[in-house]
Amino acid sequence: MFYWIYDIPSPQLAVMITAVFVSFSWVGAVFLRPILRAFLKRRADINDLVGYMLSCFGVFYGLLLGLLAVAAYQNYTSVETVVSKEAATLSALIQDIKSYPEPERQNLIWLLRDYTRYVVKYAWPLQRRGIVPEEGNTRMLAIHERLAEFEPKTKGQEIIHAEALRQFNNYLEARRLRVFSVTTSIPAVMWIVVLVGALMNIALVWLFDMKLVSHMFLGGFLAAFMGLMIFLIASLDNPFRGEISISSQPFEEIHKSLMEE
Amino acid sequence: MNRFPVPFTRSYASSLTPTRRCQRTRGHAALCWLLSFPLLLVFAGCNKPNFAWIESLKKKAGPEPIRVGVLHSQTGTMAISETPLRHAEILAIEEINNAGGVLGRQLEPVVKDGHSRQDHFQLRSTDLIKKHDVAVVFGCWTSADRKAVLPIFEQSNKLLFYPLQYEGNESSRNVFYSGSTPNQQILPAIDWFLSKEGGNKKKIFLLGSDYVYPRTANYIVKKYLGTKSMNAAGEIYVPLGHRDFGSVIDQILEAQPDLILSTINGDSNIHFYRNLHERGITASQLPVVATSVGEGELRVLPPEITTGHYAVWSYFQSVESAANQKFVQSYKREFGHDRVLDDPMEAAYAQVYLWKQAVEKAGTTDTDAVRKVLEAGMELDAPGGRGRMDGKTHHMHKRFRLGKIRGDRQFDIVYESADTIAPEPYPEFAFPGWSCDWTRGGMKKGPAVGVIGQ
Repeated sequence: MFYWIYDIPSPQLAVMITAVFVSFSWVGAVFLRPILRAFLKRRADINDLVGYMLSCFGVFYGLLLGLLAVAAYQNYTSVETVVSKEAATLSALIQDIKSYPEPERQNLIWLLRDYTRYVVKYAWPLQRRGIVPEEGNTRMLAIHERLAEFEPKTKGQEIIHAEALRQFNNYLEARRLRVFSVTTSIPAVMWIVVLVGALMNIALVWLFDMKLVSHMFLGGFLAAFMGLMIFLIASLDNPFRGEISISSQPFEEIHKSLMEE
Repeated sequence: MNRFPVPFTRSYASSLTPTRRCQRTRGHAALCWLLSFPLLLVFAGCNKPNFAWIESLKKKAGPEPIRVGVLHSQTGTMAISETPLRHAEILAIEEINNAGGVLGRQLEPVVKDGHSRQDHFQLRSTDLIKKHDVAVVFGCWTSADRKAVLPIFEQSNKLLFYPLQYEGNESSRNVFYSGSTPNQQILPAIDWFLSKEGGNKKKIFLLGSDYVYPRTANYIVKKYLGTKSMNAAGEIYVPLGHRDFGSVIDQILEAQPDLILSTINGDSNIHFYRNLHERGITASQLPVVATSVGEGELRVLPPEITTGHYAVWSYFQSVESAANQKFVQSYKREFGHDRVLDDPMEAAYAQVYLWKQAVEKAGTTDTDAVRKVLEAGMELDAPGGRGRMDGKTHHMHKRFRLGKIRGDRQFDIVYESADTIAPEPYPEFAFPGWSCDWTRGGMKKGPAVGVIGQ
């Protein structure tokens, strides 16, 4: 629903999310605070009560935000590792294929170029939109067909062919892991809890009885920090989306080296 | 006991009159907003102000891309031939997108694999039309695949652009053929070899793979020779993938021809040329003119067994023109400097531009409107030269070129038609009574002539 935020550069997105939270806090402070105060009948100990509530609530909410931030970061780094592993396996496969006789070597190099070009030019932009790229499967099948057709004529070719097939299978596994990671993200229900929690946090601040300027100052600070935390989690969530996302650079380098072959 | 200092207590707030409180509240809010904006701008500007993202958001909200289908075999026996065609079509699509798209919309290629099987071609065509709602499909290679998908395009009234040279004997309202027909590819070659310049050949032996294209093409050649009171020196068909040409060459030598017209396809060519070479038959003694050997095929054929023989196409990579230079350079830049280009690739590339021009002229991707524009006779500057769509037959007016194989696996163009040649999918001497004119009623069928595919 909110995937369009990933099209916005990080600094602007940070400002935007922070501004939304701070604005919400201020608008509430100006317009809702008098109503809430009337609702609480101007109790003398209201600031104490709200303070206790806010501390208690803050502990749970802080824990939730902290754990989510760590989980999102771990998820991001694990997908990054998957992509690095995939690229490394592909490089190893290419090295094996370079030892094949002609014209099999050239045919396979062309297919690998075709595949890496597709990954860089088409698959990655699709992943950035949260779409699982499908055409890579066909290209992998084409490479597999070519490998399977090859009949080694010497003992050396036999060894290289066996190794290439092993690397190819490793690559398929790594690729599958990357493709599965495209839709990896924090579940929607957790985002709802985080956002509702943020609103409740800000609403609790409105209950304090203090001067408006102080209200806006302190409430604004709290809202800004919450906004930044949510920006951080949102940026790290969906590892292939947005400016802070896993890049296709390892594949770009492989494609470049294949083009020089 | 209150934990907060005086300003935070309700006594301060309640000491003000309601009107005064309201005025103060408004004043503070306005002040805060005014102060906050410069801070936000400073923060946003930390990373150099960049509003390209706003443009990108606007772009995303802009017109939907036009989906176009690309249907070739990426797997199976035909993959090695069809993959370069897909590349050529993708290159054209990317170039068009980089130049702003078509009617202000980007093209989105939907690529499907025909798997070298007719049933897969049918399934994927249905997928492209029904599921992906593509505006057009560029694809197919073999006539069998094209004939298998043809009813799907006709029933759903969608357009298929077919890039291969083929046997003719077909015309569909929903297909535009950008490859050559036999009267544009084979018959001019026969004329040339019968001429003084071509060595006054008299005995032409017909050798082909056993499927629809070679059989129909050779049927047309025999009828054409008949118009010149000549007969073929002999005719042999070998199964696709055939390897042992020993007995075939014996039969050819027995007929004592002075030219072999080869419509052999695929890997069999390696074995045919090798057997010929091993028997000590050189190109100067008995030249072979091939209709299905291009730069792509020469890549796997050793030069020592093919040099000096001929091939006939409308395009060779060695064509000297600025448009071809640009095409070759663009293709190599995108797909590798060791890649070679051939006639089907050029036709595949050019047909995307042909469709683009037609859509722009029609102002819509609607099938009927685009067809109408193409039937009016659209011209195109292709890498191989200027061509024109023949509205009557849905085939291209194309140039004929005869190439002699060089040692570097390229061709020397030894003869080129002075102008483009009009397509004849149903030459009158071979298919009496058959004709097509899509601008005036469509197909006119004559008596069956007994060739495959009729």
